[in-house]
Amino acid sequence: MSEKVMNEDALFTFVSNDSIESEKIIAPRYSYWKSVFRVFFKKKTNWFLIGLFVLLVLGAFLIPVFCPYNPTENVTRANSFNLSPSAAKAYFAGDGTTLKWIFGTGGQGNSIFYGIWSSAKTSLVLAIICAIINMVIGVIVGAVWGYSKGVDQFMLVVYNIVANVPYILVITVLVYVIGAGFWSFIFALTITGWLAIAYFFRTQVMIIRDREYSLASRCLGTPIPRIISKNIMPFLTSVIVTILATELPSYISMEVFLSYIGVGLSANIPSLGRMIQEAQTGFLVYPWEFWPPVAIAALITIILYVLGQNLADATDPRTHM
Amino acid sequence: MKKYLFKRILFSIFSLLVVILTVMLLVYSLIDRRVIFQTDDVWNKRSNNERTFYEYTMYQKYGYLELANYTSFIQQKFVALYGDSYTTNEDFKAARNAIQNADKYLDNESVQEFIKTYEEKGYTVTYLEPIKYGNGRTKPGGTGYLIATVEKSMFSRLWSYMKNLFSFESTKDVQDPELTDRYIRIEKDPYNGFYALVGSGTTHKYLVYFDSHFPFMHWNWIHLNLGVSFTKYRGQEITDVITTPTGELMVKETQYPAKVGTDEYVETAIDFHSLTYNNGTLTEAEMENYPDKYTVGTYRTKGLSMLETSFVIGIIATIGAYILGIPLGILNARKKDGLLDKLGMWYIIFIGSVPSLAYIFMFAAIGTKLFNLPYKFANAQVKILAYVLPTISLALPSIGSLMKWMRRYMIDQMNSDYVKFARAEGLSEGEIFRQHISKNAIIPIVHGIPSSILGCLTGAIITERVYSVPGVGNLLTTAVNGHDNGIIVACTVFYTSLSLISVILGDILMSKVDPRISFETKGGR
Repeated sequence: MSEKVMNEDALFTFVSNDSIESEKIIAPRYSYWKSVFRVFFKKKTNWFLIGLFVLLVLGAFLIPVFCPYNPTENVTRANSFNLSPSAAKAYFAGDGTTLKWIFGTGGQGNSIFYGIWSSAKTSLVLAIICAIINMVIGVIVGAVWGYSKGVDQFMLVVYNIVANVPYILVITVLVYVIGAGFWSFIFALTITGWLAIAYFFRTQVMIIRDREYSLASRCLGTPIPRIISKNIMPFLTSVIVTILATELPSYISMEVFLSYIGVGLSANIPSLGRMIQEAQTGFLVYPWEFWPPVAIAALITIILYVLGQNLADATDPRTHM
Repeated sequence: MKKYLFKRILFSIFSLLVVILTVMLLVYSLIDRRVIFQTDDVWNKRSNNERTFYEYTMYQKYGYLELANYTSFIQQKFVALYGDSYTTNEDFKAARNAIQNADKYLDNESVQEFIKTYEEKGYTVTYLEPIKYGNGRTKPGGTGYLIATVEKSMFSRLWSYMKNLFSFESTKDVQDPELTDRYIRIEKDPYNGFYALVGSGTTHKYLVYFDSHFPFMHWNWIHLNLGVSFTKYRGQEITDVITTPTGELMVKETQYPAKVGTDEYVETAIDFHSLTYNNGTLTEAEMENYPDKYTVGTYRTKGLSMLETSFVIGIIATIGAYILGIPLGILNARKKDGLLDKLGMWYIIFIGSVPSLAYIFMFAAIGTKLFNLPYKFANAQVKILAYVLPTISLALPSIGSLMKWMRRYMIDQMNSDYVKFARAEGLSEGEIFRQHISKNAIIPIVHGIPSSILGCLTGAIITERVYSVPGVGNLLTTAVNGHDNGIIVACTVFYTSLSLISVILGDILMSKVDPRISFETKGGR
């Protein structure tokens, strides 16, 4: 055996003492958004829900393009009114488009299947626009409201007064005065809607604002914009997503509710609320007209809600451990 | 505490005023006022000037404007000059007929005086010229009118509303010179042996009394005047609309007031506690049966009023929700991530996210198809069954939200130091949950109790509509659709007051349950 025994000098070498290098902390790099998505996509249900949601969105935006919904196409053919799926299939057998009558016909011979997709598109667009407007105004006002004590006193008075005006009253009077078009409907939903979000956000800002680390940061002279963006906002991302998770489905429910009480969108805009409202009187006799729009509304709201809640959980840094 | 409460109440009254003002501003200036005539038969029957004049009188009645009419102006003027015989006076006849001649009406002295008086007051004078056929005969409803109008300002409208909100009965209410014995005193109630506040000279005989009907203590002394309905209940008082019971008469064996103590009984539905003063002359039978002129009573009915119907459904649902929701929330928190907790979470997600319309109809379908329960309220064969589905529909979302918050507060408390300490002391899990965590977790829940009880008085919009419950829930929505400003303002006042009261009550209740919460200012900020 010619084993070469190394001596200590060959095994070890001296490392130069670099004072700058020794200040570095060696740890896996933490990226906030990467961690958020890692936690979010670890759940199998989220993959499933996202897939379902993408299908719904594609359906809502693509089906109306290729198969435009015309509620009055069969209005002159009284025999085509209120047909059950099997009856409709038989009645329109010569048509060739079997998918169109898969859920039967409505009170004017309209296709329920095409109707729910056009309506779902309206509801989704409405919910997204309302959510964006209300969230942006609500979060900005809420942040200022929570941070400044002078603004707080004034805004509390405003809030206590506006919150007591019945919400339905504001919306119905506005819809009545400015008309029931798509944009005036959005205006009515957002004119006071942001205030509740701002109030909720204000409370959260106040909680974080008075935490010790924030106070320490202020004592060290950190400028306010930096405190807001670096100390407060990261904590509030999950709050914002939580609000969004409840807000988005709530506008869809709101539209359904308002249509039901008779102050919904105007008649020429297909919407889930209008379809439900038109079918509700005969919902025991013609269930195929009533349940498909209800099911689509319920499906969209549940998916948005669960996805939002799970995303909110994932955006909370405490779950990233 | 007293000073704090006083401040809170003062601020609540202020915000109530601002809310009423805002709503009045919305409905009186934004909604087209002509809609009140859409279903008005009187308006349809009238034509030409008569219709226009009728419109102005209705605007005055519903608080849009102040109206002065030339005819009543000259009447007053000539009564002052010539007494009751003014109708035969030539000047009066000339003044009366002047406005029927469109060319020369300005020549009349009274017309000039009318125009001058009201223009000085800031009124706008409108002359509705007589409308005539070619042969000189007046068209139907074409008589001339001379009127002066001024729009009411928002503040005067608010002031007159607030002034009339509460009215109290006094001994001067009855305008009968024959009634000399006027008093208000506490007497023994001959019908049940309790004491009652009895008045003479007041509109009602019994001002405060007790009986076996909900709410057991009745006040006739104070009247809440929420306003008058415009279109839906044309001219009716809204307080009466929502509190007047409906249904069949309830006949009871009782005695007339003058016959109490004798053995003469009578079968009648008249509620002798509701007697009011009769200004006319009494019949012989009335003189025999009543000791005084308080002879006009209302009838007892078997049905409930709108307010009571909503309240009964609401309160059963609320109590049920608390009884089920809180223990379920505690249970879910104890067995966190167990099967029951998972099921509970899905229920909460379902109830919280799906449009309420969807699940109410779902339960309506399940209830009618599987359990054969009545769907529409009025169609129920057995009256009590009609309440089942609305109550369940109302309770389900409350159970969900109570469960959600109770579970959340419990889990928040479970990680606190005092729980770890209790565990270290050797307390059993049951003891920790019952005596430590539950007590702390329930505090925020307690805050919502007054608002959920008082909220029953406002009714439920969707539930009542789906099952056609004759409650108050749809009062506001139908009023908005029917442009009934009176009901809209009344509902706003009612809802706002209830929500303001319930927040204050909730705060008081919370400070009673948790002594750590105090509204005293302790200095510092």
